[in-house]
Amino acid sequence: MKNLKKVLGVAVLLGLAAAYLTADESTKRYLSHIGKQAPYLPYRYFI
Amino acid sequence: MADYDAIVIGAGLGGLTTASLLAKNGFKTLILEQSDIIGGCCSTYETNGYKFDVGASIVEILHPMDRFFELMGKKREDFIELVPCDPIYSFITPEGDRFSYPTDIDETTKVIESIAPEDVEGWKKFSGLGFEMIDKMMDAMMLSPMKTLPEAMSMVIKNPDAMRFLPMLMRTHQAVTRKYYKNPIIQSSVAFQSYFAGAPPELGSGIFGFIALTEHMGIYYPRGGMISIPEGMRQAGEEHGLEVRTGQKVEKILVRDRTAGGVLLEDGTEITSRIVISNVNAKVAYLKMVGPENLPKWAVKAIDSYRHSMPCPMIYVGLDTRPDLEAHHTIVTGSIETMNDVWNNYYKRDLIPNNAMSLVCWPSEADPSLAPDGHHVLNFLCNAPAPYAPLGDNWDRIKDWYKEEAIKGLERHVLPGVRDHITYMEVSTPLDFERRLLSPQGSIYGLFSDMTSLALFRPHARSRAIKNLYLTGSSTHLGGGVPTTIASGIIASSYILKDRG
Repeated sequence: MKNLKKVLGVAVLLGLAAAYLTADESTKRYLSHIGKQAPYLPYRYFI
Repeated sequence: MADYDAIVIGAGLGGLTTASLLAKNGFKTLILEQSDIIGGCCSTYETNGYKFDVGASIVEILHPMDRFFELMGKKREDFIELVPCDPIYSFITPEGDRFSYPTDIDETTKVIESIAPEDVEGWKKFSGLGFEMIDKMMDAMMLSPMKTLPEAMSMVIKNPDAMRFLPMLMRTHQAVTRKYYKNPIIQSSVAFQSYFAGAPPELGSGIFGFIALTEHMGIYYPRGGMISIPEGMRQAGEEHGLEVRTGQKVEKILVRDRTAGGVLLEDGTEITSRIVISNVNAKVAYLKMVGPENLPKWAVKAIDSYRHSMPCPMIYVGLDTRPDLEAHHTIVTGSIETMNDVWNNYYKRDLIPNNAMSLVCWPSEADPSLAPDGHHVLNFLCNAPAPYAPLGDNWDRIKDWYKEEAIKGLERHVLPGVRDHITYMEVSTPLDFERRLLSPQGSIYGLFSDMTSLALFRPHARSRAIKNLYLTGSSTHLGGGVPTTIASGIIASSYILKDRG
């Protein structure tokens, strides 16, 4: 089960990476922008 | 015993709305406004015989304003006279071609058909979907709190159609525009509104695509200038005992044991209250007025993470002649790529853009009283957005240069020969906005508005870090703009009345 979770986790990360690398420049900038803001979302939810 | 039941910091539209509604409900309420005129970005100043609007230049989506007056037991018409403006926009393409969108949907369809017949179907689909959403969900979208998951779920349960529009919130304005329109001229005529929310099309939420439709519900100019709106609201509030003091700058919010209990003015005066409502930028409210020493670490991290919305110099011009314009607003368009390029390659690099994108507002067409007989006023933004700190320089030093560049741009793209008719001209730079409105970095829409800073992720109207502290205005849901800030005041007051009975 533990291994399955690891495999799924890696698969998700690879999928996200593939989506990013094949996206156009504008989409990359958008994803990059969202990615930079994402760590703050839990804090922003509570403020 | 406290001096007041409620103190509101700032007499912008959000503050006036909240304060007036509280006064109507029996709260002894005081507004403290740091400048000499009320209204914040929605105000008007007079000079040399002309009246110029400081920032906001039009009002649309009347629903929140009408709801405010309804809650006050009044009619909007008794306080504010609104002049309809039609066409809603006149556009000038980079090639110099001109066209206008009338308020009437069918007439706009004909205009789109004349430019790009292939986009008529997309326009009909988008406008059909959009008007359905607006019709079904105006209250839910504008007047319902959307800060917590329970609130959002409650809104969806009461309005199941909301789920159909959720994808638009998650997509970019650019993606939504390109889904429905193929012609670059049509795309640019419906995509520029992302900058009304302070973001380029590739970052702004797709939900802002509906702004282009709401304008077809009618756009209006208040007779007497934009300040007529806050003045009308103030009047309605004062009938219920609301007290408004101008020229009173609040330095601190008094906090003890993580509870707000009043304010400290710049001159050292303390005024106590049971609750405090901030209508200033949320970062200023929390980080300067409350102070990080009074906040939990997570709150400091949260509020510090927000970016400010874009600054934009505003140019005010008095003319001794009628300008050759067709509409209240004339937009010099740029393609979606140009709009994104301005953001990525100029604004983010602290460079002032050198393209033609601009918005020219001609309010004296709707209200001739803004200027002497035969004269007219223009407010315009050009080369927007502009950085707060232009690389290697500051706005005080480059103001005269910028003024000259603005006139050249206006002559080149919109009004040839206008220079010979200018009787007055002034520029309000991002530094001027910061000084006059205490708007950090001259930001004109409060906090940056994208998917990560809207709704659930925007500062709560009811502070969860400081008890008895509430927030209203452009830093809260739904962001900057006349109807949205009024709506934020309705939401804030509803929380207070619920909390305080």
